[in-house]
Amino acid sequence: MTTLWDTTGTAVVKALGAERRKAGSVSSGLALTLVVVVEEGRVEEAEHAATRAAAEHPCRLIIVVRRRPDAPEARLDAEVLIGGRLGPGEAAVLRMYGRLALHAESVVLPLLAPDAPVVTWWFGRPPQLIAHDPLGVLADRRVTDCSLADDPVAALQQRAVDYAPGDTDLDWTRATTWRALCAAAFDSIESPARAAVVTGEPSPSRALVAGWLRSCLDVEVTTQDSGTNGITEVRIELEEGEVRVSRSNGRTALLSRTGQPDRRMPLEPRELGDLLAEELRRLDADETYARALSVASGVGDLDQRPAHRTHVWHDPTEAADPDPALTVA
Amino acid sequence: MVHPLSNPLRSVGDRRLPRVPDPCALVVFGVTGDLAKKKLIPAVYDLANRGLLPAGFVLLGFARRDWGDGDFETLARAAAQKGARTEFRESTWSRLAESIKFLPGSFDDDHAFDTLAETLRDLDNTQGTQGNAAFYLSIPPAAFPTVLKQMQRTGMADDRESGGWRRVVVEKPFGHDLPSSKELNDLVDDVFTARDVFRIDHYLGKETVQNLLALRFANTLFEPIWNSHHVDSVQITMAEDVGIGGRAGFYEGTGAARDVLQNHLLQLLALTAMEEPVGFDAESLRTEKRKVLGALKPPRDLAAYAVRGQYDQGWLAGERVKAYRAEEGVSSESRTETYAAVRLEVETRRWAGVPFYLRTGKRLPRRVTEIGVIFHRAPVLPFAKSDTEELGANQLVVRVQPDEGVTLRFGSKVPGTTMEVRDVAMDFQYGEAFTEASPEAYERLLLDVLLGDASLFPRNEEVEESWRVIDPIEHFWAEQNDAGNAPHLYRAGEWGPKAAVDMLARDGRVWRRP
Repeated sequence: MTTLWDTTGTAVVKALGAERRKAGSVSSGLALTLVVVVEEGRVEEAEHAATRAAAEHPCRLIIVVRRRPDAPEARLDAEVLIGGRLGPGEAAVLRMYGRLALHAESVVLPLLAPDAPVVTWWFGRPPQLIAHDPLGVLADRRVTDCSLADDPVAALQQRAVDYAPGDTDLDWTRATTWRALCAAAFDSIESPARAAVVTGEPSPSRALVAGWLRSCLDVEVTTQDSGTNGITEVRIELEEGEVRVSRSNGRTALLSRTGQPDRRMPLEPRELGDLLAEELRRLDADETYARALSVASGVGDLDQRPAHRTHVWHDPTEAADPDPALTVA
Repeated sequence: MVHPLSNPLRSVGDRRLPRVPDPCALVVFGVTGDLAKKKLIPAVYDLANRGLLPAGFVLLGFARRDWGDGDFETLARAAAQKGARTEFRESTWSRLAESIKFLPGSFDDDHAFDTLAETLRDLDNTQGTQGNAAFYLSIPPAAFPTVLKQMQRTGMADDRESGGWRRVVVEKPFGHDLPSSKELNDLVDDVFTARDVFRIDHYLGKETVQNLLALRFANTLFEPIWNSHHVDSVQITMAEDVGIGGRAGFYEGTGAARDVLQNHLLQLLALTAMEEPVGFDAESLRTEKRKVLGALKPPRDLAAYAVRGQYDQGWLAGERVKAYRAEEGVSSESRTETYAAVRLEVETRRWAGVPFYLRTGKRLPRRVTEIGVIFHRAPVLPFAKSDTEELGANQLVVRVQPDEGVTLRFGSKVPGTTMEVRDVAMDFQYGEAFTEASPEAYERLLLDVLLGDASLFPRNEEVEESWRVIDPIEHFWAEQNDAGNAPHLYRAGEWGPKAAVDMLARDGRVWRRP
């Protein structure tokens, strides 16, 4: 591991090269570069998740911590490591102070693995507009996490407004388990659906599951509040009978279908690293997500939008409504 | 999947949702055997743990034990705890345990099979299995006819009668020569229909083998040079460091050629040499593989190009090991081969004149399986002869196990003021952790059986074509035995007998050291 204090981007690139040579036979099976935008307090959690995901998708990991954009002096501190605590791959942790935080791409660009796709993941409050963050503009895939926003449901709405193909949200990833259960429950059912109800605490996941059901089944889908965590039940009314998936306790789901015995299926909570690994599996636009998000938010034609964004200059120290992704403690 | 689009919640574009089979029963005959304990049950658990088994899944064990469901569950639990790749979770197990059943009985017991048929019908109601069942024959081939006839008698193998799908999984050996494999294929295909028969060759379930297809057909870089214009020869090696373990009874009558060459190595050869399939469905893949196997010619000069060996005592990995003939249960006069090396030719326009060297052996220095494609040397070199003395032929090596990956060997300048060129290796490797996360071959294959995807399973014609290649070699060796010639001995811990080295030397080549 090399630690560099008050350094420059060039020195970081050199240190990475030196580390690679030091590691001996470098197996460079890099599939992508993962850029993680995170605040200081969550660095460890982000490192853990990224390491887990990197085990499945060999990548170069760049962790960007923006600190005190209002600091008078711009400064860069960096850690470069290969095959260390951040898994078998190559990793750099970059801490940027002062105005440098607004020009993070100047350090990150030369560090990207040549010609490999870039995934940017904001592990913190999602950006208002991804175009505000140059680290989002340079990425091929962008992953946000609405559950970390101050108002998650409003944040999902904003994701639809700001959507471009290649965007996804971890709340959609969290919904995969429920979607898989619904799909399994619906296998070999011939009767068409009439209506559906998704019950759970108000959350982006609940909205996305409802949006997804509606986009697939083309029927009325309502949501119902329940006090507990996450989604608790999905009920689909059929022309004949009904299909119900409900959570009986934390780790098991119950599948009930009219005229058939009830069945239990696993409903394990997934770790952040597993969610991230699922995101990295696909580097193209997720059309199913676009449709679900479109229905959930009422914003139309999401998949018609251009995939590329142009950077919009945004200075959080001057803006009346500073973008949360750039305003870091 | 049988009806991929009938479920409105599944769409082709939505690749986050896992492919999950229809509700079904998996019936395992010989469930108390080694394979079931070491591979099958752990694979079932891993699938359950990954959420890839359908809600209405039942594991039904059948064996000659006076057991109840509970006894079997205890055995299965121990097997899953010991062999599972994924973390053992009590909650997953308790769910799976609910759907584990055991039926005692011997294979000639009509009553037991009647009970089995009835149990399967009951499951349609209690578990909603809709008549779907896969039968895994984890039993000696000698017992096949009895079990298959029982299934035929009770109508268990009939898709129509059961109202769902009925599939059967067969393990190697698929016979011991062409006539016996034909007989076996006829029997199995008669009781089930040919498309419901899944022959497991676990090598084909390995990631790298599937990656070979991606390497060849998803890239433009390799296919143009994948022919006799550029390829000098191909070496396919499957080496094992272990001896025969406790399998003397089986191995004495089988030998390396029948055990490994006929199935694994010829399948690897077929995947290496085949033309581009029109699609990646089972039918297209099998068609192309069959064509290659059909174009294979056994060596004309068997004495020179079919070498067999048997390990003698020696030292392997720092330990003293016994000779094959000194193994328990092996005759001290045994002429069974534990090593086989052959040269085969694929008589197609693409491969004419390119020898395929195949070798397999036990008690070799290390466990390794790889496919080495060796290219021609450059016809003219603009360097002085002394500059390129260390330059060998370019090679592309697909490492199947361990360290799954691809190696490319090419010449590079030695740093310094003189112009010297020597070989360097460029490695692509799935990271250590990556390999760990990739599913066990059995897991993948079992899932494919339940999904009805046959692309990774050899078809009966492939098996028969393989025997057509192996039979003349076996006959030749049998004649040798009659003439009083034993297999060449090699020391345990070395790369096979000298005769195998001579075989390549005769062609002006050498074996790669894997």
